[in-house]
Amino acid sequence: MTAIEQSSEPGELVPAGGHDAAPDPHAGHSGIPNAKLAMWLFLSSDCLFFGAFIATYLLYRDRPGQTGPTPQDVYNIPFTSVTSFILLMSSLTMVLALAAVQRGDYRRFRVWIMATALFGATFIGGQIFEFTEFTRKGLNVDTNLFGSSFFILTGIHGTHVLIGIVWLVSLWGLSMQSRLSQGDSERVEIAGLYWHFVDVVWIVIFTVIYLLPK
Amino acid sequence: MSDTETQEIETPGSVPERQGEGHEPDLPQGDLAYRMAHAAPNLLPGEVRAHPDPWQYVVVAVVLAVITAVEIAVSYMEGDIPDGLIVVLLLSMMVVKFILVASWFMHLRTDQPVFKRLFIVGAIAAPVLYLVVLATLHGVLAN
Repeated sequence: MTAIEQSSEPGELVPAGGHDAAPDPHAGHSGIPNAKLAMWLFLSSDCLFFGAFIATYLLYRDRPGQTGPTPQDVYNIPFTSVTSFILLMSSLTMVLALAAVQRGDYRRFRVWIMATALFGATFIGGQIFEFTEFTRKGLNVDTNLFGSSFFILTGIHGTHVLIGIVWLVSLWGLSMQSRLSQGDSERVEIAGLYWHFVDVVWIVIFTVIYLLPK
Repeated sequence: MSDTETQEIETPGSVPERQGEGHEPDLPQGDLAYRMAHAAPNLLPGEVRAHPDPWQYVVVAVVLAVITAVEIAVSYMEGDIPDGLIVVLLLSMMVVKFILVASWFMHLRTDQPVFKRLFIVGAIAAPVLYLVVLATLHGVLAN
C-alpha cells in the first residue's frame, strides 16, 4: 500500500477513509476529528474521576477503629483474577472488531463486538457474585469505611462497563440492520476507546486494590 | 503499511500535490495532521499511521496475559520476599500493562500526538494530584 494513492483520475488524491469516504466533515481545521478529540478529553478527565475514588479507598481502607470485615477477610484473589483476565481479553476482541469493520468484514465485526459485550457481561456477572459474597460475609456499603469506599469504587467502574456493554450492543444492532458501514469505523473506534479505558482503569484497580500487600 | 511508507508520510514534502494545484494558501500544509487527515488512504480520521495487524493485537494480548499471570504469582509471594519489592514489581507490571493497552489497543502509537498528550495529562495528573492529597490527608487523619 502506498502512502498516498492515486485514484482512477490521474493526479487525484483519494480522501481519508478510502475511495468512498469524503474527508471527515467533523474534523477541525487542523484535521483532528472532533468526536475523537472529545472522547480523549473525556477519558483524560475520567482519569481524575477514578483517581479520586482510588485515593479515597487507599485513605480509608486501613483507618483504625473500623468494625466488620477487612479486605483480607473478603477478597477472593483467584476469582477476581479470572474476571480481570476476561475483561483484559475483551480489549483484544474489541480491536479485532474494529479491524474487521475497517476492512468491511461485517460478519466478523458482529462476532467480535458481541464477544466483547459478552466478556463485559461476564465481568459484570462476576462482580455481582463478588458483591453478593461480600454481603454474605457481612460487608455492606454502610458496614465500615472500607466497605463504603470499596463498593463505590468498584460499583462506579461496573457502571462504566455496563454503559460500554449497551454501547457495544447498539453497534451490533446497527450492523445487523446494515446501518453501519466501513465509513463508520470512527464510531466503532470511539466506542473502543471507551471500552479500552474501562479496561486500563481495571488494570489499576486490580493491582492497587486487590494485589498490593495489605 | 511498511516503515518506508510511514517515513514517506512523515517526511515533509513527501506528499504529492494535486495536479495543477500548488499549496492551498489558507490551510496548514506543513501540518502533519492536516496532510494525513486529508490525503492518506485507508486511515481513520486522526491517524498518522495505519493500525497494527490483527496478529499484532493477539501478540500484545498474549503479553498482557503473561504479565497478569506473573502479577498474580508475585502477589502470592507475600511473606517470602519483602513487601517493598512486591509493591515495586506489581506497580511496574501495572504500568507496563497500562502502556501496552493505551499505545496498542487505543492506538496512541499511530494516532495524532495531540491525543497522546491529552491522555498523558490526565494519566499523570491523577496519580500526582492524589498522591499529594493522600500524603496530606493521611497526616491530618492520623492526628
